[in-house]
Amino acid sequence: MSLRANNYYKAQSLEDAYAKLQENSKNAIIAGGLWMKKTGLSYETLIDLSELGLDKINEKNGHIHVGAMVSLRDFENNPLINNLFSGATAFGVREVLGPAFRNSATIGGSIYGRYPFSDVIASLLPLDVKLVFYPKQEMSLEEYLNFKGKLNGILEEIIIKKEEGNGYFKKVKATALDFPMINFSIVKRNNKNYIAIGSRPLTAALAVKAMALADQGKFKEAADMAAQELQYLDSINISKEYRQDLVRVYVRRGLEEVNK
Amino acid sequence: MKLEFYLNNTKVVWDVEPDEYLSHALRRHGILSIRIGCDETVCGSCTVLIDEKPFLSCGVLAMKVEGKHVTTVEGIQDEANRIADFFAEEGADQCSFCGVGFALIIHALKHEYKNPTDEEIRDFIVGNMCRCTGYQSQLKAIKAYLAAEGK
Repeated sequence: MSLRANNYYKAQSLEDAYAKLQENSKNAIIAGGLWMKKTGLSYETLIDLSELGLDKINEKNGHIHVGAMVSLRDFENNPLINNLFSGATAFGVREVLGPAFRNSATIGGSIYGRYPFSDVIASLLPLDVKLVFYPKQEMSLEEYLNFKGKLNGILEEIIIKKEEGNGYFKKVKATALDFPMINFSIVKRNNKNYIAIGSRPLTAALAVKAMALADQGKFKEAADMAAQELQYLDSINISKEYRQDLVRVYVRRGLEEVNK
Repeated sequence: MKLEFYLNNTKVVWDVEPDEYLSHALRRHGILSIRIGCDETVCGSCTVLIDEKPFLSCGVLAMKVEGKHVTTVEGIQDEANRIADFFAEEGADQCSFCGVGFALIIHALKHEYKNPTDEEIRDFIVGNMCRCTGYQSQLKAIKAYLAAEGK
């Protein structure tokens, strides 16, 4: 099964891409095109953003600006990203298959799809991340994940606040190239703990009550709370209960790590 | 659709479908060294270099390589032969289905890293599967090859 499309269009500007997107409800933006292939869906026109210069990473006023078409490989290898939170953010992205895959996959495509299994989303969620869409619209990553329905805009840029702190990322997987059975991304920034848990098998979310307990130094209690406050489900290779057991272990370990 | 790009440093103009992936376009145009294994961007058998970086050609729409340089194993033939000798020496290549993809990923590894550690080598080749061996023999072969190449 593969995606099907009748036309391929290289956009010359975001305005051009957006106009083409509005022309037909079966037109779609293509980023890396990797997950789109797996869906096997049919499209009228695929709109390619490759020529719009959205493949750059820059630092501006204490923020890291990442173009939506930056590949995961370029993202993980960028020194600005590598230096974030003891390398945990880059490490999380590096958990996605091999380098040849990550040369195709883009940061924008990984976020826009809001994939429940995403290591990229889990890695970024504990950070202060803003998404910029065309036409002009901005929202935090957390707001976007909670947004109901499909956003009609084009994800243009991801803005990450550059902050000091420690980070921890853990992907529990059956084999080296597998989807995560569950993933954890824990960051301490501004003296506050942030805990994101993804692939539950639902899209990553912050364990807010657990974060409050962690801020009081109650790591074991925070881990227990994280296992209760978020929704966990059974899936083919892991039960809900086992997921919760893993949460109790890895959230505690992660909190101990980032608070060293 | 008309697609212009450089295949092993030679400019080519092909007709491709808008939803055709590079692996299929290459094979349809006679580049049969491209092995389509999983066709789901997992196994690494269809690895090519695009502007000297490794990509899974089954995950790249052909139209994405407009104006780019695509290298298949034919473009690194001498080096691929040298790599094959090291693989044979270590018993790292049995059925050879994965060999082409390995030659290209090792070429990319050699250009991206100076003196890679075992962990860096493992991380780099993790997306290239071999169903005959256990990867230890390949790790040994790659290290021996890089040492011989002064890397």
